[in-house]
Amino acid sequence: MGELLLLALFIPLVTGLLSMFQDKVVIIKSLNLVGSSMTSSVLAFIVFRISTQGAFLNGLLYVDSLSAVLLTVVAVLSLTSMVFSMSYMEKELVEGHITIKMLKRYYGLFNVFIFTMISVLVVENLGLMWVAVEATTLASALLVAFYFNQSALEAAWKYVMVCTVGICLALLGTILLYYAQVNVVGINVQALSWLELKTIASKLDPTITKLAFIFILIGYGTKAGLAPMHTWLPDAHSQAPSPISGLLSGALLSCAIYAIVRNLIVVQAILNHEFLQYLLIGLALFSIGIAIPFILVQHDIKRLLAYSSVEHMGIVLLGIGISTPLAIYGALLHVINHAIAKSALFYLAGIITQEYKTKYIMRIRGLIRTMPLVGTLFIISILAITGTPPFSLFISKFTIIWASFNDGRFWLGAGVLFLLAGIFAGMMYYCLEMVFGNPGHNISVGKVGKPALWSIVFSIGVMIVTGLYVPLWLHTLLIKAASVVMGGD
Amino acid sequence: MNFLIIILLVTSLLLTRVSRLKTAVTIILIQSFMVALACGIDGLEAGAVHMYVAAILTAVIKVGLIPYALLNIVEKLQYEREDHPILNVNSSSVTACIAIVLAYGLIDQALPGANSRDALATALAMTLIGLLIIMTRRQAIMQIVGLITMENGIYLVGLSATKGLPLIIEMGIFFDVLVAVVVLVILTHRLKLSGISTDISRLKKLKG
Repeated sequence: MGELLLLALFIPLVTGLLSMFQDKVVIIKSLNLVGSSMTSSVLAFIVFRISTQGAFLNGLLYVDSLSAVLLTVVAVLSLTSMVFSMSYMEKELVEGHITIKMLKRYYGLFNVFIFTMISVLVVENLGLMWVAVEATTLASALLVAFYFNQSALEAAWKYVMVCTVGICLALLGTILLYYAQVNVVGINVQALSWLELKTIASKLDPTITKLAFIFILIGYGTKAGLAPMHTWLPDAHSQAPSPISGLLSGALLSCAIYAIVRNLIVVQAILNHEFLQYLLIGLALFSIGIAIPFILVQHDIKRLLAYSSVEHMGIVLLGIGISTPLAIYGALLHVINHAIAKSALFYLAGIITQEYKTKYIMRIRGLIRTMPLVGTLFIISILAITGTPPFSLFISKFTIIWASFNDGRFWLGAGVLFLLAGIFAGMMYYCLEMVFGNPGHNISVGKVGKPALWSIVFSIGVMIVTGLYVPLWLHTLLIKAASVVMGGD
Repeated sequence: MNFLIIILLVTSLLLTRVSRLKTAVTIILIQSFMVALACGIDGLEAGAVHMYVAAILTAVIKVGLIPYALLNIVEKLQYEREDHPILNVNSSSVTACIAIVLAYGLIDQALPGANSRDALATALAMTLIGLLIIMTRRQAIMQIVGLITMENGIYLVGLSATKGLPLIIEMGIFFDVLVAVVVLVILTHRLKLSGISTDISRLKKLKG
């Protein structure tokens, strides 16, 4: 098991390093395809082993059901994103937007980015987790700035500045938590190990812990794109190359949520339950609410999707804030579903912007006539992301709202339903215009790469299947993970 | 130790007043050197070997590599100055003073009876002043300087509260800081190359 984890960390690094030194496009592509499939298979095998054998601890490495849920997300997304990149980047190369040198850099950074995300999920230490989360920002920053034009530079600058400042506050919180730990057990223990922190949690000083958690929540909340710290998110997600937008939105935000949850597990034993709930639910509602006006008046397709991510992170946090086992089950399922659906949407947006050569929603018209297949997939994905049955996002949103009613929070559930209706209206309005509008002038559409379509069809297939039936292994894994979040083993 | 703390406060206050980028980088160099010294002295008092390592790492990265990279890029930005910050220099200094008072108040409230009260308050004040500089300065280099001040402050909080974090985490943090500055320097360099000013406030294409 330990070897497997090291392998999962090792393969992306080696693949990234090797792709920096290749000059043939074919070799780079096949190298990365092999590397990415291997990483995903190893991750899938780790998830399988966790779900059958339980948690694993080895020095600084630790995985349990909660990490397994997130590892599933990274395993699926890194593969679909890599497969999609193959078509997307080849087209960029053919059209002369990028050079071979940039392509090499792209694949190098891509793999480092995957490596940092896996490290966030497999370390057993809040300090090292901080290091890994900050590393994800730095690895992805140059991917956001990939085209090095003015907008990309602006987005990347904001991304690094806002996230680094935010994450510095999380470091301050982590140091305060360590201070609380030192006050209980002294120096020279397993510093900031959360298993250790969890066992001594009831002895920690409540005032310091409270202060620490507020800093941590602001810090990782910035990274997770929770309002009002979300300002970097629409810029970064809209400027990055589309496969990277998918990864940022699906996998990176989920990793940040994971960091919040890990800290929450430690502090919930000591802090006032109501205080935590107000804090989390308040932040969640604000994130859902703030997305609505921006979605309703949006003119850029990728920013539209980015604001939708702010909304979905709010929904996930809502589930965690309600903090009944059912709500957390829903929240974790929603993390997986959102990641798969949102990445598929970003891939589609990538195809669309490549063909129409614009991100303006106004100029994208008549998808169903110009690209029938892409148009159909687009409308299916929008239906999925807004939570219509039979897609899996319906199940997870439904579970969270159900849990809210179940917990006696009638107005909360009703209010969220109302907000979701607004978002549904906004997203559908733009989607219908883009798909069924009149294309007006002629648009010459090239051939969409097969791998790109495969990865999108695969994602949509997963959404439909899990919408109709949550596989037993996933169901058990989620129940175990929810009990971990509740403070169990 | 008290002497170091005073110098640290002075450097932070000076940062709210400079307009030449090169001066700002020099000040940050002195500030980081003081932090490294504080770490070394603390290590000497506690007899902890891992703190020597941390002090040397601070010296190498924050006093050596990072100022070197920054000075390198400042050379190329000879026409860029911080002339009209969003908050003028006098108001910035006053705000920084308020931050110092606030920091003392906060430390007394949150951690009453902490044995290194002055160091903690200074550290917190540096964090706040760093944040102030990031928010109110237009030049890319000044924002990087603010970020490093903030980082120095947080590092000092850890140093004075718990004698620093365990070495492996400390090394990770240093590595991250280094890479963060490298990434920001690359971005600044690219801004310069694309013929765009490194005045960040002019970057406002992305909205809504």
